[in-house]
Amino acid sequence: MPPIPTRAVTIAGFTILVAAMIVLEILARRPGSRIPTVGQWLGYLMRPKIGRFLVLLGWWWLGWHYFAR
Amino acid sequence: MATDGTDGRRRRPGRPSRWPGQAAWPRRPAHPLLAAAIAAGLAVYAWVDGAAVPFSRGAFVGVLIPGAVLAAIALGRTPERIPPPRELDITGMSYWVIVLAAFFEWEASAWRDSSWPWHPSFTNLIDPLMGPHLVKSAAILVWILAGWALVRR
Repeated sequence: MPPIPTRAVTIAGFTILVAAMIVLEILARRPGSRIPTVGQWLGYLMRPKIGRFLVLLGWWWLGWHYFAR
Repeated sequence: MATDGTDGRRRRPGRPSRWPGQAAWPRRPAHPLLAAAIAAGLAVYAWVDGAAVPFSRGAFVGVLIPGAVLAAIALGRTPERIPPPRELDITGMSYWVIVLAAFFEWEASAWRDSSWPWHPSFTNLIDPLMGPHLVKSAAILVWILAGWALVRR
């Protein structure tokens, strides 16, 4: 059996984790779910001003990271 | 239990409410034509920004403008905000924490190894997908809309 290249393992790891996030969001949107949606936990983090500032800064950083460089 | 997003706290007389904020802007544009014009404007902006060369001044300004506009809106004319939950379920939130921690650990290990292409980071994998102009423009549009969604939180 040929060895599995580490690149495939790395990509599989990212795929599984992103899929897990999508599944969590779907589960969170079911009625009565105890799992918060992304919007709910981000909203919770953004209650204090510093949380609001940091979350918005993180959003801007993502744009700079992926679109400007 | 308060259902108005104020956590049951009483506001001091004469003090503006923080949540939901003073509705300077409604959640949706008042007229469908205005909504269509805003959507078209954002799409054009994303299309133009998507054509900017990476590491160029234009690309930087392209992400600086939405950031500045949304920061001004967040600080000044805050739109009608969606009340956050009073508290989060610890068990439910722990699933998110586990997945996010695993994601950042995976990303950190790929970044530390710095041995592309054997251990590509998430950015290494996403960058080639952003090659087509249409895809990059669509991603920029999603990013701007996500920023607007965050400002409303």
